[in-house]
Amino acid sequence: MPLPPDRVDYSPIIDRPVIKWPNDARVAVWIAPNIEHYEYLPDFEGVRNPWPRTPYPDVQQYTYRDYGNRIGFWRMLEPLDKYNIRCCVSLNMAVLEHFPEIAEAMVERDWDFMSHGIYNTRYLYGYTEEREREFYRDTIDTLKRHTGKQLKGMLGPAISGSVNTPDLMAEAGLVYHTDWMHDDQPVPIKVKSGRLISVPYSIELNDSSVLRDNHYEGDYFARICKDQFDQLYREGAESGRVMCIALHPFLMGQPHRIKYLHEVLDHIMSHDGVWQTTADDIADYYLEHYYDQAVARAREINK
Amino acid sequence: MPAQRRPGMDHEHHEWSPISERGRLRWPDDARIAICVIINLEHMEWQSPPGSFQAGNLAGGSASRPFPDYARLSHREYGHRVGIFRVLDVLERHGIPPTVAMDALTATNYPYLVRHLSGRGCEFIGHGISVSRMITSNMTSEEEQGYIRESLDALNGATGNEAQGWLGPEYGESSRTPQLLASTGIRYVCDWVNDEQPFPMTTQEGELYALPIMWELDDVSALADRKVTIDRYQDMLTEAFDALYHDGAENGRVLTLHLHPWLIGQPFRIGYLDAALDYMTRRSGVWAAKGSDIIDWYRQHRPSS
Repeated sequence: MPLPPDRVDYSPIIDRPVIKWPNDARVAVWIAPNIEHYEYLPDFEGVRNPWPRTPYPDVQQYTYRDYGNRIGFWRMLEPLDKYNIRCCVSLNMAVLEHFPEIAEAMVERDWDFMSHGIYNTRYLYGYTEEREREFYRDTIDTLKRHTGKQLKGMLGPAISGSVNTPDLMAEAGLVYHTDWMHDDQPVPIKVKSGRLISVPYSIELNDSSVLRDNHYEGDYFARICKDQFDQLYREGAESGRVMCIALHPFLMGQPHRIKYLHEVLDHIMSHDGVWQTTADDIADYYLEHYYDQAVARAREINK
Repeated sequence: MPAQRRPGMDHEHHEWSPISERGRLRWPDDARIAICVIINLEHMEWQSPPGSFQAGNLAGGSASRPFPDYARLSHREYGHRVGIFRVLDVLERHGIPPTVAMDALTATNYPYLVRHLSGRGCEFIGHGISVSRMITSNMTSEEEQGYIRESLDALNGATGNEAQGWLGPEYGESSRTPQLLASTGIRYVCDWVNDEQPFPMTTQEGELYALPIMWELDDVSALADRKVTIDRYQDMLTEAFDALYHDGAENGRVLTLHLHPWLIGQPFRIGYLDAALDYMTRRSGVWAAKGSDIIDWYRQHRPSS
């Protein structure tokens, strides 16, 4: 009997169809700024407390994050624009409604968007199927309305989900889910209908984990991003790899950190063989070229 | 039972034995230091079964999140899919034969991995059923016995060998565990992190030794719990090695390193392990060995006192 939740067939990275990225790139690099809004007075639904430090509002923590939208986002644009990085935003959809200048700046740059829910203070824990279906309709419509783009993927709001999430995402027409930290390549996720894959996001190369949870600083973030790139670049000569750097403007957009984002991008973008792309494009490419092969190979391995 | 105020240990699992009072332990070819790397391959369950005990501070993902925690589960799964192969390559490059602590759910559900590891000459040791089910004193003696039996049956069934060693998930034990392991035929246990040499455990039935792990150098302890930077971790490993190598000239030492592929096997971390092991294995007087080889040698060459 397969191990619950039986979403992923085991497939060792050393025994898979070889991935060739466009132009023989070794590493598909995507940059994922988390553009978020946390509510001033959220509803606490009893599972996870959005502001556990104090009774609401927690002005210190609320404004710390809002700093990202007022200041940090704009500061981060400079290193990103220097290399014409096409980001794939992890987006709280309500940002499009609250902060039109941010929406405009992102659309103008032709960035892609994956859903990160509506607000970062509204989690999917305990959602009924019907409520979760409505949630996908809302995120798809909101993105379309403000950017003209068709939503393709999601990082659960604050990386939350329900047991039905992959099935309901696929049912809603989404094709990739980035809550899975299990691989350096996309991986097929088993769903009731349609096709869904994971695209590697990162809980490791993530300024929120590195700087906020684990209390390192920008210099260390730059070091590990460069190390990660170098290792994947070596391995990518044999079969393509994915590298994601997850950013939050309230963290990486701080004045004492920004030079480290420059440092990371300088390093990565000085290499040939880099496909600087988005999760949307990685997903499309993988689904078209490798999904079927990967499913077949995994089936064989688990026979 | 609270300790009695008298000389010696406050339990009966082993004798009190300060290193200052021991005879000289000589490793093969008079090596100063034995290096053993234990690779941890354990499965974290989607939901812990009712009545099981899961450590509250279990590493991975974004700390502890409500169910379902896709991030933490999949972060740990990274070790089985990707990280393990980097770790194996690094060990192979430095001539270190791996000892693999594998839980029952991994042994049963990852036959490819078992075959691959067997093919690369790994020794398998028992590692419980899953990391979501630690051994604790909450278990009855029968439950614990059944748990150990089930773990070993699954592992031995998958590998076709009899496991000689044991490491509990999260080093979990009750006060009965060493006795139960010994009576099951286990010859060495790695849960006891209190020494730099193997030592005998006192048993009613069977013969059991401790093969102590350096807890502070366990990657979960250093990197996940204590947030040591990866470059500093490399230095810690080589500094520990230097000190043990120095002390090993007088009395042989063992450096048992416990590593989790989901953590140390991440792309940005693996190079630092590689560099540290390169530093260690370039020296003469270093014996890289599997757990059972170290215990076999110790058993036959144990200094009288």
